[in-house]
Amino acid sequence: MTVNPKVNPKKLRPYDTPPKRRRSPIPGAPDSAANGFLAAAAIWFSLASGLGVLAILLRIGHFNITFPLGLFELAFQLDERRVDTAFVNATVYGWLTNAGFAAIVFMTPRLTGRRLVGVPGLNIANAIWNLTLLGGLAALTVFDLGPNQPLTAIPWLMTGGLAFAALIVTGSVLATIGSSLRTAYVSVWFACIALLGLLGMLGLIATVGIVDWFIHFDELPLALFSAFVERAIPALWLLGMAYAMLHYVVPRAVGHPLASGGLAILTWLAWLVLAPASALAALADPSIPFFVVTIGAVATMLLLLPASFAVVNLTSTVRGRWSVLLGPGPAAAAFVSVVFLLASTLLAGIRSLEDVATFVGGTEWDNGLFIWTMYGAFTLSALAIAQHAFPRTLKRAWSPTLLSAAAMWLVFVGVTVAGVALMGGGIAEGSFLAQGTASEDIDAGILGYQAVAFSAFGLVALGALAHLADMFLLFTSARPVEYAIPGASAAAVASH
Amino acid sequence: MSVRTPIDTRSMRLPAWAVGLTVFALLVGGVYFASNLAGESPPFAIPGASGPAPGPSGGADPAVGEALISQATPPCTSCHGPDLAGSGNFPSLHGVAEGPKSENLQDLAAANPDTWIHLWIDGTTPETEGIDRGGMPMFGEQFTPEQIDSIVAYLETLP
Repeated sequence: MTVNPKVNPKKLRPYDTPPKRRRSPIPGAPDSAANGFLAAAAIWFSLASGLGVLAILLRIGHFNITFPLGLFELAFQLDERRVDTAFVNATVYGWLTNAGFAAIVFMTPRLTGRRLVGVPGLNIANAIWNLTLLGGLAALTVFDLGPNQPLTAIPWLMTGGLAFAALIVTGSVLATIGSSLRTAYVSVWFACIALLGLLGMLGLIATVGIVDWFIHFDELPLALFSAFVERAIPALWLLGMAYAMLHYVVPRAVGHPLASGGLAILTWLAWLVLAPASALAALADPSIPFFVVTIGAVATMLLLLPASFAVVNLTSTVRGRWSVLLGPGPAAAAFVSVVFLLASTLLAGIRSLEDVATFVGGTEWDNGLFIWTMYGAFTLSALAIAQHAFPRTLKRAWSPTLLSAAAMWLVFVGVTVAGVALMGGGIAEGSFLAQGTASEDIDAGILGYQAVAFSAFGLVALGALAHLADMFLLFTSARPVEYAIPGASAAAVASH
Repeated sequence: MSVRTPIDTRSMRLPAWAVGLTVFALLVGGVYFASNLAGESPPFAIPGASGPAPGPSGGADPAVGEALISQATPPCTSCHGPDLAGSGNFPSLHGVAEGPKSENLQDLAAANPDTWIHLWIDGTTPETEGIDRGGMPMFGEQFTPEQIDSIVAYLETLP
């Protein structure tokens, strides 16, 4: 029974009942925000990977579904572009951003030794973010997508909702960190800049949307802005959070100190400078000075530098505990993520070379690289933090299960094969295009690659379901245990 | 409040090899940047549009046509040579305003003296059915008629 501490029970008369404690409808427990974001992320992971399977199927089958809604001459439309757009949005804003928010609100109190500020506000932000995103995805099937790339295709009013939710999260995290930023661990630095990057980009999309509503920009400037944002959000937000999560999870999971703090800071600095500049590569058009695009291409290539530093630093951190990489658990997922991070950064650098861009640009190769980046590097780091954080936020004992192993290895195999198949298909498609082959023959020529990618990405979807089921079973049937309370003291947190 | 870093680090020193690698990478990047300053990007492919961006005037524009030549898949220069002066079996495009140089296009040019270049580049119209294209793609599948007009306008400027 809970007793209000302001009431002295000795002064209660026999017929009095202790006043009942009012419980807020909005959860305010320290880890409830991380729990909420992790749960939302797991659901979005399944949904997004399902949409990915559908997107590949539509590219094979080339079919559309359209039926009128009987309202304002609107029609529900499902075609290749709309499903691709929904898939990218569900992956980036649904799965990876919820996982990123969860990681930030999980790591910040543990790394700063302070109690998280504004937990009810974070739970409200969770509801706003996910409901707005659902509305945005629904809108993608109805309204005209205009000249937008996927990440700016959601109507600006809804993007404003997303920006508002991101503002709440940013405010809470910055208030928690406060003056301890200078002495904080490098993951906090990565997370801070990444979060500010996301907030800035969402604010920019909403602002441009509002201004366009009144003065109607031409298609080309809008399309170029959209292409810039499409590059900037993964480079700033997702890549930054991947570094933050990996630098947190690897030392924790293997129980070793980080090999080099100096190298981690150099990784952060290199990423901070290069990530925003790399987005300039998307502005390839005669109206933009060519040197601007070249700066973007060089920055994209140089992003290999922080990736290499992270690989060396984290591998040196694991040194002597290689056996943990073979089992199902955060360490294995984090390490595979590091390998994908290096590979996808290398491929993105190669892709930014002018001749390569001419050859494979706009082909299935780009989709293969997208899968390696989003579902290899970023997803596996998010899986690692989820497997590390969820038992702690739920206060449950974690032990390796068939489902946790399935989630990790199905995603690994599926992403590897799907990425290779699509990149192979892209090279074939580029060759066909260079020979002037008719589009029907190109479709037939890359069908085999797409079929393999379809099957392999089905494994990723199964892995996502396994992750969801694993988290559900952890919540319902794992043994309760006590972990150190975040914000209690830095020393107590140190062993957490 | 000063907080002890909850994740310990083995060393705060910056490895010398990392500094060396950073300097080397910046040098290589600088050289690449300096050697790629001249050039022009192809027209941006606007999502949802039927093809590359049309010219600002919407009509035949040689400058737009020049840009579209490198935007084409495959680029015209990949077969006809970097300056479109011919390469291997592929004829020069210089002087096409005066008439076709290939035997297989004489009939087409005779029947359509004003539009034969446009028809040949397009390749999807009945007029070009049955003509051996010799590897020439049907650019009508990639470009709008206005864009092909711009390409023709550019080709007609070649001496």
